[in-house]
Amino acid sequence: MSAASVRRLIVIGLIALWEILPRMGFIPELFLPSLSSTLAAGWNEAGEYAHALAVTLYEVAISMAFACGGGILLGAVVGSLPRPRILIMPMVSSLYAVPLVILYPVFTVWLGIGSESKIAFASIYGFLPTMLATAAGIQTIDPQLLLAARSMGATLSQRLVRVIIPAAIPTVLSGLRVGGALVIVGVVVSEMLISSAGIGYLISRYRTILDSPHVFAGVLLVLAMAVAFNAAIKWIEGKAAIWQTGTRAGQSAEEIAPAALQPAT
Amino acid sequence: MQSGLGVKAARVAIVVALFAIWEILSRTGIVNPRLLPSASDTLATLGDLLQRASVRKDLAVTATEVVTAFALAVPVGALIGFLIAENRYFAEVAKPLLFFAFSIPKSIFLPMFILVFGVGFSQKVGFGFFSTIFIVIMSTTTAVESVKVEHLTVARSYGATPMQTAFRVYLPSMLPVLLEALRISMIFNLTGVILAEMYASRDGIGHQIATWGENFQMKQLLAGVVMIAAIAIAFNELVRWVEARCSHWRT
Amino acid sequence: MQPLANIAPLKPAGAIEVRNVGQVFKTTTQDVVALDNVSLDVKPGRFVVLVGPSGCGKSTLLMMMAGLRQQTSGTITISGAPIPEPDPNRVGVVFQEASLFPWLTAEENVEFPLALRGISKNDRRARAQEALKLVGLDGFGKRHPHELSGGMKQRVSIARGLVQDPPVLLMDEPFAALDEQTRMTMGDELLRIWAATGKTVVFVTHSLTEAVYLADEVIVMSPRPGRIVDHLQVPLPRPRTYEMLSGDAFGSLRDRIWRHIRKSA
Repeated sequence: MSAASVRRLIVIGLIALWEILPRMGFIPELFLPSLSSTLAAGWNEAGEYAHALAVTLYEVAISMAFACGGGILLGAVVGSLPRPRILIMPMVSSLYAVPLVILYPVFTVWLGIGSESKIAFASIYGFLPTMLATAAGIQTIDPQLLLAARSMGATLSQRLVRVIIPAAIPTVLSGLRVGGALVIVGVVVSEMLISSAGIGYLISRYRTILDSPHVFAGVLLVLAMAVAFNAAIKWIEGKAAIWQTGTRAGQSAEEIAPAALQPAT
Repeated sequence: MQSGLGVKAARVAIVVALFAIWEILSRTGIVNPRLLPSASDTLATLGDLLQRASVRKDLAVTATEVVTAFALAVPVGALIGFLIAENRYFAEVAKPLLFFAFSIPKSIFLPMFILVFGVGFSQKVGFGFFSTIFIVIMSTTTAVESVKVEHLTVARSYGATPMQTAFRVYLPSMLPVLLEALRISMIFNLTGVILAEMYASRDGIGHQIATWGENFQMKQLLAGVVMIAAIAIAFNELVRWVEARCSHWRT
Repeated sequence: MQPLANIAPLKPAGAIEVRNVGQVFKTTTQDVVALDNVSLDVKPGRFVVLVGPSGCGKSTLLMMMAGLRQQTSGTITISGAPIPEPDPNRVGVVFQEASLFPWLTAEENVEFPLALRGISKNDRRARAQEALKLVGLDGFGKRHPHELSGGMKQRVSIARGLVQDPPVLLMDEPFAALDEQTRMTMGDELLRIWAATGKTVVFVTHSLTEAVYLADEVIVMSPRPGRIVDHLQVPLPRPRTYEMLSGDAFGSLRDRIWRHIRKSA
């Protein structure tokens, strides 16, 4: 049997178990409500979830603009200038070791518990890895391409516009993917911690009243958001596949800094 | 490739400058000092906090949780990673699933841990374990795959026993990748445990930080942030230092 | 088209003069002499091959002729004028591996140097077509580099080097990444293009056979410090044929080069 079909069976099996185990009483409903009761819970409160989703998406969109815009821009600058790179990159990756979630209380004190503190936190949360990924990716641009452009008399600005930027497109995309995923996590986590609106808030509220089906409906919604975002980026990457060969030996940024690119919790 | 003395001095200068700007912003009142206590006040508070028995106890609680979660996640994850990497078919089946599991945000499952374990030690360790294990599995498979087939063939052709192959080929080839994995796993683990403490807990330094935040105790809050950041960076640098020592294995 | 309009040529177009050139790389611990007092004359229309072991400075010398790197001492003139920076009107460069831009099609790659100088789309296209035809890639213009074989990619690189019709073509191990058969075919192709255009070619290689097979003159270099140890004429008639490879004349030339290289290795 092909690996793909086994995989499909596993996924179907897991979904089936999700329905069957709670129904048969092997797992208490409180720990894991069945798939059908989760979906029903979500459907019954569709209006509430839709409103929460709107709040969350709004915060995600703004944070993404900050995190990805800033991260890609700064990563490109730092990645292409050797001196700042040597100076700053190790510091940035040290900073990456800090569990940034401890900053969220600071933002709530400064900005209140509305959307502003979530946007501030999620922007910072997504910023560092995006910057690291972009800077790493810029470095993978084949130096031969730049040398060739120079031999043809390209000026610095021509090299930037005609070589560095097109060659950096796959990197920018992977930066976007990492940053975007983290921004979603950042927004939802901050909503879960202290908040008055959004999906994270709903999850936490239903958790305190031990209403598992509603908790899982929220979790499912966030999952769907993350999956949809991933799929969107994949689609764009597919469209830009021709660029993928623009880096040295066809390396992608992930191969160079795999861990830096992944969403921390 | 190693940074010279000048670069190190420049880095220290940047950090000092950041603290200086912080101090000036607060002292001159450009930023309300109630919202941003000065750097010196914060560091003084940090000194006080470290004297306090309650804070030390919180640190001990967090450390215990972190170490427990780490000690569970690393061997279990490494074992799963090995099994997956060693079997082609298995790898083909499992890898996309793992990638998927890896890419979804783990934090949204935090409420589930509370529903299952209640609020306490096992909930935090459980969530720390859950946030760490996927990265351990992934890194282990990467590490195994980083072993060059040529090296294995050479070892086999000279009649190396499985034991010899493990210790003379696998381990040295994988060591740099494993160290890197250890470092990243620790970051994930620490983040997971602290988030769990902030979300719902009665003790631990993450809980303490959340409480300071809710009570607008900015000095303590910032001192706590500086403290955790310092601990995390120190650990990170320690592992990177070891990595650098082993770096001649790379390439 | 008058590519040399702005230079008053003291020497005929295509002449290369290298006078007492030295190149010192400064590292933190010591100064490395990459080239030591190298002098060389290449007459217009000649096919000259630089050969020698790694580190003998042959590529460095080529990069200096291209204006991509400046010598520490001495002078280099191309068509009678020094070359302080790359000048695609005087010198075309072909690099080792395909340094084609992966996001551009073959013809867009060939047009690249023209686009840098703001030449109109129609002119560009016409000249690119001409160059592609010259290298035998008529009809492949719309393909992207990843859709071309290694040999075809290098043909595109050659077309790109020739598109501005410079009198000099510099080639830095252009066929090193190709397999033996393709390499031989490309050698014949290059000789055909060279005969058709009458360019001065300076060609860097590791391969003794390739050197003797292609060259009018072979310059043998040795490392530490990089200097010229022999300069030999290849009296074999043109066109070169595969039969010559097994002839005595060919063998003794190759032996002579090998003895130099063995000594310095």
